[in-house]
Amino acid sequence: MENIQSRLLEMIQKADRQGANNLLAAWSEEHGYEKLLKQILIPTLQHIGEEWRTSENFSIAQSYVAAKIVEDALFMTLKNKKDNVNTVSEKGPVVIGNIEDDFHSLGRRMVKTFLEADGWIVYDLGNDVTAEEFVDTAVEIGARVIGASAMMKTTAYNIKKLRKELDRRNLSGHIQLAVGGAVFMVSPNLEKEIGSDGSSSTAIDAPELFDELWEASLQQETVHE
Amino acid sequence: MNSFERIESTIKGDPLDRRAFIPILSLYGARMTSCSIKKFYSDPEAYTAGQMAVYDEFKPDMLFGPFAFALIGAAFGSELKFSEFEAPNIKRPGVLSFAQWEKMALPDIDTNPYLLYFRESIRLISIACEGKVQIAACLPAPIDIPALVFGMDRWLELVLFESEQAELVLDKVNRFFVQLANCLFDEGAMVTFLPCGYASPAILPRNLVESLLRPKLRQALGQLKGPSILHHAGTIMLDHLDILTGLPSAIGYALLHTEGLSKARQILGPDPILLSGPHGPSLDQLESSQIEQISRSILEDRDREKDRHFILVTLGADVLYHTPPENLHAMRKALADVGWNAS
Ligand code: B12
Repeated sequence: MENIQSRLLEMIQKADRQGANNLLAAWSEEHGYEKLLKQILIPTLQHIGEEWRTSENFSIAQSYVAAKIVEDALFMTLKNKKDNVNTVSEKGPVVIGNIEDDFHSLGRRMVKTFLEADGWIVYDLGNDVTAEEFVDTAVEIGARVIGASAMMKTTAYNIKKLRKELDRRNLSGHIQLAVGGAVFMVSPNLEKEIGSDGSSSTAIDAPELFDELWEASLQQETVHE
Repeated sequence: MNSFERIESTIKGDPLDRRAFIPILSLYGARMTSCSIKKFYSDPEAYTAGQMAVYDEFKPDMLFGPFAFALIGAAFGSELKFSEFEAPNIKRPGVLSFAQWEKMALPDIDTNPYLLYFRESIRLISIACEGKVQIAACLPAPIDIPALVFGMDRWLELVLFESEQAELVLDKVNRFFVQLANCLFDEGAMVTFLPCGYASPAILPRNLVESLLRPKLRQALGQLKGPSILHHAGTIMLDHLDILTGLPSAIGYALLHTEGLSKARQILGPDPILLSGPHGPSLDQLESSQIEQISRSILEDRDREKDRHFILVTLGADVLYHTPPENLHAMRKALADVGWNAS
């Protein structure tokens, strides 16, 4: 791993947001803001994702710090963006939100940050989003993936309504349904039970999941054509 | 042996007739009495009727005061969301900034309706069960209370990026926590059950738990009138168990059995009570035979068999509303067959 990446990682582990911001600003001044995401942030996040999968001791706090640093970096990149340079390759759009009656926004907000860092255009509908609102927005903007977050079992069951709504409008397959949140980790069967197309146990892994689901949606169309 | 004696003997390490059995059946009382969730979590008499119905059906060795953490948040002004079959949740946090927090007065345990509900429920249960069974007050540990007041996001931010403010928050929270917990002891609770989510390696790294949270926990627990059981909050804890070991008033530690109970015992030393068992909120998804098997395998483990300070509990949060009663009886069955070897 490059020196700057390992220094960044160290700062994330120590929750040193300011230090990380200074480090990234200095690097960007020298190498160009447009290269920051692709050359530094995305590989570092991939490394963290990897570490998280293999180590029990990577905490929500550390990934939250990473998310904050990513937010700061995205902001800095936009501020310094030259008009003709495309800093982020655009993917999506996708829709995310906490399902009806769920108000645990932290996980969903982290998912949004990591998706944006990976170049996704994300429509975040916030907390307590009904099945109809999710599907209406997805149709309106042309999203192929909806990401629904829930922390309690009772609210996770509300995601069933989202699957039903997709079925009712004949959109299942074309619009893929990603789910996540604390309760899916403690109830492994739940994901299947509510009819999701995929899940990831951390926000850092969400971009990979969304890539797969986007691809699955495209595949589905070639099969049906 | 009655429940009182059984728990006392477990604390002392004396011989037992059988292991103590503590399923977390706070919410389940609503099911047993077909009580609406709103009434159950606001009317101490309805809550007490639920606990007594739980007692009649399952004869647990401990009953619980309300396990409804969101109500603690509501005492600080957070807005609640009730659903049909579960404990209330926080819809909107009551405090949005540190400045707002500094100005606010702590909720008064003698007049705040949410806090009176906790007090009165414990008082009524202790009258109703006439000393037959021990009562636990279930409270969020002081390190988790700010999540219910500021929201999980803001509290995490304070802990990570504004540690001086986080310390001040905890100082004030500690005053509230100690007052409330001691008052619940006065009302009849024998022990406090304290989930410590923020102490988990899944939430915070070791250095922060050690440097920021442990000293504050020590300060709060040192002022309690009665004992406490530190609880894993439904997540991993083993790698931070050493940090929680030896805190004042902590007589027991509840931990996922999948993390390794023998390792936990090594860290804790011989005396504290170790509590473990199947994961409560998953009992609705398992067959009763599977639950019996999980309970048996925990109890029959060689290290557990000789462990005099072990109690079979349901782990994680409350057992879910729709869990069939036979799934809870399955745990008792395992206990009846293999649970009495610690003599
Ligand atoms: C910390 C914690 C608490 C704290 C703080 C809660 C708060 N203010 O939000 C305290 C102790 C106060 C608490 C209280 C309660 N809790 Co609690 N809590 C937890 C714990 C330990 C961590 C939850 C958390 O916030 N994690 C941090 C977030 C960021 O993680 P996350 O949601 O998993 O999100 C990550 C991934 O899942 C993913 N992700 C999230 N969304 C999405 C979406 C998509 C599309 C994708 C791809 C990925 C993704 O990315 C995120 C970042 O990596 C869990 C146990 C656990 N094992 O997780 C229980 C847990 C969630 N709590 C539970 C319960 C029941 C409660 C209470 C109702 C208890 C009660 N009776 O009072 C109250 C409710 C309080 C409230 N919110 O109103 C249960 C839920 C069980 C169930 N079956 O419904 C759990 C699972 C514990 C358990 N095992 O029993 N809790």
